[in-house]
Amino acid sequence: MQYMVKVFTLISLIPFIILSLKGFGFLPVFGFFSDLGANPIETIIHTTGKWGIRILILTLLIAPIGYYTKHELCKRLPKPLGLVSLFYILNHFLSYALIDQGGDIKVIIVDIIETPYLIVGWAGFLCLLSVGLVSLKKLQTWFNKNRSTISGIVYTAAVLGVWHYYWQTKVIEVEPVLLSILMLLLTGWKFITSKKKS
Amino acid sequence: MSIKKSNTIKSYEITSESIYLERRKLIKSMSIASTMIPWGMTWSQSSKEDGYISAYKRNSIYSTSEPKNSFEDITTYNNFYEFGMGKSDPYQNSANFEPAPWNVKISGEANKTGVYNIDDLIDSNALEERIYRLRCVEAWSMVIPWIGIPLANIIEKLEPNSKAKYVAFETVYRPNEMPGQRKRILKWPYIEALTMAEAMNPLTLIAVGLYGQDLLNQSGAPMRLVVPWKYGFKSIKSINKIHFQESQPKTSWNMAASNEYGFYANVNPEVDHPRWSQSRERRIGNGFFGAKQPTLMFNGYQDEVAHLYQGMNLRKYF
Repeated sequence: MQYMVKVFTLISLIPFIILSLKGFGFLPVFGFFSDLGANPIETIIHTTGKWGIRILILTLLIAPIGYYTKHELCKRLPKPLGLVSLFYILNHFLSYALIDQGGDIKVIIVDIIETPYLIVGWAGFLCLLSVGLVSLKKLQTWFNKNRSTISGIVYTAAVLGVWHYYWQTKVIEVEPVLLSILMLLLTGWKFITSKKKS
Repeated sequence: MSIKKSNTIKSYEITSESIYLERRKLIKSMSIASTMIPWGMTWSQSSKEDGYISAYKRNSIYSTSEPKNSFEDITTYNNFYEFGMGKSDPYQNSANFEPAPWNVKISGEANKTGVYNIDDLIDSNALEERIYRLRCVEAWSMVIPWIGIPLANIIEKLEPNSKAKYVAFETVYRPNEMPGQRKRILKWPYIEALTMAEAMNPLTLIAVGLYGQDLLNQSGAPMRLVVPWKYGFKSIKSINKIHFQESQPKTSWNMAASNEYGFYANVNPEVDHPRWSQSRERRIGNGFFGAKQPTLMFNGYQDEVAHLYQGMNLRKYF
């Protein structure tokens, strides 16, 4: 079982590995796809952001699947996958802050204020980061005691993340719409099942 | 940077069409005879073989001396939703597009309406290289060495009448060759427009090439508009219709989101897009750690175009 968890975690890191290989120019065989293109920082920000939100929603999808199938893997996967998602979002945020904005705090604050979808993304990032931090070994007992609060924060992070994605598209795009629908269904399911329990 | 202001558009003497065509044919055959002898038989084929560009002069008055973007950057990083929404989609999906032969339908408030071949509109002897900044509404920018002729040169030939207050352009509609048009990303065909004063401004260009060669499909082959003081979406690609009219035309992005994309769409660092800042831009090709740079009013072309908008509230008419 532990072996399967490792396999899935590794699979979820493949987009990051490919991105890194492209960044360092180690993918010469794929021609045009071998580097990060004309706007490399944009490629990094978009790729890490997209995979972060995809994996986060996948993490949340495991709950209903486990609820109906009672598969053991569904209990073990959420935490590592959630951390992988945080890893992507952390990269997403850091490459925005340190490279795109040159690490200038004043510039970043002005940019976030001027750009409404950044406020939403920033809030979602803080939610996810706080959950990631309390999942550290030392805070394990607190983490286990407050599972419902934590899943609430993760849901909030996912909703904000999808919103952040949706809000910056110039025209209606398929993926953010699909992710929004998925988030709506997931939140609805969560709401119904948590009512049943209480 | 100071750009010398030129106060006159060199007036184009209108030649009757038949004489004009004869002259073009003669010049073409002369240049072909001198350069393409080894290919013997190919000279009589369509204009695609010999290309639109044989010679051009460099226009240093309107060209920037900033470093140019590489041909690769310019032709692999594009917004051309007719070929898909990704930046590399136009490069990857435009191979089946046929830019030759090419006709342009001229209609509306002008004396010389009708269907013209591209060779009749573009005077290949008047081609110039203009190195312009291009600022996308998405806050990135490039420097591109276009080859083209002033739009004014074409418009004078078409003799618009006094009712012509605006000129509208349409991108060709070919869903078979343009996969993006099979989806309703925008309302197809793509439409853009300028006021007559904007269209006649000497900066406004109809480009047929860049870096000394014909436009590639992803860059808007075979002819496109270039309006360097406006956001990139105004510079409509693969034009096959030009229409002169009295009322303000409905343009594609304005119809898609009128609160975000105005008719004028002048580059303006003080008027933000509702969802993002327009005060800075990323110059493509400046390297991974290259800093963003401040965006200039009218993309740095104030001297040439600010008078067009004198007294206008640019926050209202964005």
